[in-house]
Amino acid sequence: MPMNFENTKAYRADERLGHSLLSEAQRQAIFKASLPSPNDGSTIVNKPGQAQRRSRLGVRRFIKNQIFVFVFALMHGIFSLYIKSRQTWHGVSYRISSILYYHHATPQYIRRDIMGLTKKPKHLSAILKTEGNHRAKNDLDRLIEETAELATWCACAEIPMLSIYEKSGVLKKHMPRVYEAVVQKFTFYFGAEHPTLSVTSPHQDDFPTRMLEESRHGHLQLHLISYQDGRESIVDLTRTLADMSQRGKISPRDISQELIDAELSEGILPEPDLLILFTPHVELSGYPPWQIRLTEIFCLQDNETFGYQVFLKALRNFASAQFRRGK
Amino acid sequence: MADTVSLLRRLILESPPGEWAVNQLRELLIGALKQGPIPQHVAFEMDGNRRYARSRRMETVEGHHRGFEALARIMEICYKCGVKVVTVYAFSIENFNRPKYEVEGLMQLAKVKLEQLTTYGDILDRYGACVRILGQRELIRDDVLEVMDRAVARTKHNNKAVLNICFPYTSRAEMTTAIRSTVQEFLSPTPPKNTPFSPSRIRQKILSGQLDGRDLLPTIPDDPLDDGEYDGKDVDDGDDNDSSGSATLPPGSPEPRLLSRSGSYGSTTLPNPDNITVDTIERHIYTADDPPLDLFVRTSGVERLSDFMLWQCHQDTHIFFRKCLWPDFDLKDFIWVLLEWQWRQKQSDREKPSGRAGTVKARSMME
Repeated sequence: MPMNFENTKAYRADERLGHSLLSEAQRQAIFKASLPSPNDGSTIVNKPGQAQRRSRLGVRRFIKNQIFVFVFALMHGIFSLYIKSRQTWHGVSYRISSILYYHHATPQYIRRDIMGLTKKPKHLSAILKTEGNHRAKNDLDRLIEETAELATWCACAEIPMLSIYEKSGVLKKHMPRVYEAVVQKFTFYFGAEHPTLSVTSPHQDDFPTRMLEESRHGHLQLHLISYQDGRESIVDLTRTLADMSQRGKISPRDISQELIDAELSEGILPEPDLLILFTPHVELSGYPPWQIRLTEIFCLQDNETFGYQVFLKALRNFASAQFRRGK
Repeated sequence: MADTVSLLRRLILESPPGEWAVNQLRELLIGALKQGPIPQHVAFEMDGNRRYARSRRMETVEGHHRGFEALARIMEICYKCGVKVVTVYAFSIENFNRPKYEVEGLMQLAKVKLEQLTTYGDILDRYGACVRILGQRELIRDDVLEVMDRAVARTKHNNKAVLNICFPYTSRAEMTTAIRSTVQEFLSPTPPKNTPFSPSRIRQKILSGQLDGRDLLPTIPDDPLDDGEYDGKDVDDGDDNDSSGSATLPPGSPEPRLLSRSGSYGSTTLPNPDNITVDTIERHIYTADDPPLDLFVRTSGVERLSDFMLWQCHQDTHIFFRKCLWPDFDLKDFIWVLLEWQWRQKQSDREKPSGRAGTVKARSMME
């Protein structure tokens, strides 16, 4: 049980004076008072010759357990009521804000929404999910559509890099299709004079292979990653390093954080500034671990939909967050 | 008006009966929470001590002291609920960039608290918890390091629960260390296989059986088949063998073959780096012995991982960002986290019927 107030006060006073106020014995008494009884938990001390007492204790424990079970059920009853109403409330308010903040497929609207923000991420990242129980083809179409939307919003907000994490890697397999879809979306938003696009992915050739000259409307790099680029990429790097050191090319002492960072951020993914989740709660589902060190993670509580308002709220939240880096 | 209310509240809460009632309520809630699934491994990023100190007009160091009190409270709740491992981020390598007196204060804090832990060692004994220090030891001052080692040694025998204190720690440094030691491991020759059955003894047994008791052991196949088996074995453990040259020996001469093989067993062969898997690296991560991280809690409303438990929490850990500052963090905040975690657990069990059967069974066993 926690310390009582008298003891807490005494302890804090003692602490402030650098532990010179209380004597050893006094301090020990404070600790003793706040400790749980030694047989707390499942270990029951068996005292011989007290069978009767033990059975009474058993009854008491049984009743206590029943109370706990009851309170547990009650707590969860109340909690699911609370969470249901929270979900409903959030659902309604997100629906309203998605009507209030709508892009109308016009870059000007998006630019106006972004204009007031003090800072923008240079590298935005998002996790998109496949819904396993749907038909795979529909699922891929939806993923590509979402990727195209997100890429277009980024282009409107003048964010130069967008990386999309999709666990199964199905997007990576369809790079030309993704490229087509995004360019189509660009044309739909911007008309003929749209920004240029390049689709990249680790261990694969860029698409399009030959970069056209950058248009004056900016350029967007769309980077596709999957589960393979998470832990597996670190394992791959370790294999390479082990192989090199077995051949005597490097010594294990040369393996530094800078080296690994350089390899992983050039080979796989540079550190994103902002990560957007379109799931109801924060769960990274295998996103590359090395790179999310200082990434701002944005997730709208209880939100299940993909939408412009999530993107906008994430950017606003990012602008108001401050970075301290351990200071 | 507000003053009188808060005064009244304090008077009631700080009086012995009020305190007793609050404690009973805590016990009741913890006991009730215990009836559901409980995360096995929880990590806390204790953020907000300095903002707390600033808002209360205290010294920064005192804010950290309050933070420690909160940690003691939370640890108690966790261990009573049945959490096996609690990992806390006590000091980041980046924290060395803070003002010198604050770093000094934090070091002093760690030293004093761990010293108290060793003198009144039964605090952790009561919970059966052992302390482990995770991080870059070489960055810790000698006097602090000594106290830490004593605290670790003092609580080593406890095996019911673990308190991992990350002191100077960053996740990238942890991963780097893990990669480096994996590479190191693969630089040394394969250690002899850790089984009580030595291959050379088995081979000798078979050979001697062939020599003197052929009729006694009818299960041992006759020579040609036996040879074939041997060749297969040769390929098996000989793909990375070096100059022993068993392949160049003419087949059919048992005695030199035996010699060369036992020679290759003692010689140095480097393991194949292709055998490195996620598990290999996992073994070199600081939390290798602990169960997977179920719950990650960060206080003070910052929604970043800030270089803590990156390797451990990027899979299916439930990450919670709470608004309140760490010194204010108590059962009243933590219970919401636990309840939501339990609720999600129930939800995901419902999606996978096989998992539900397991929890129902566990629950009925508990009852």
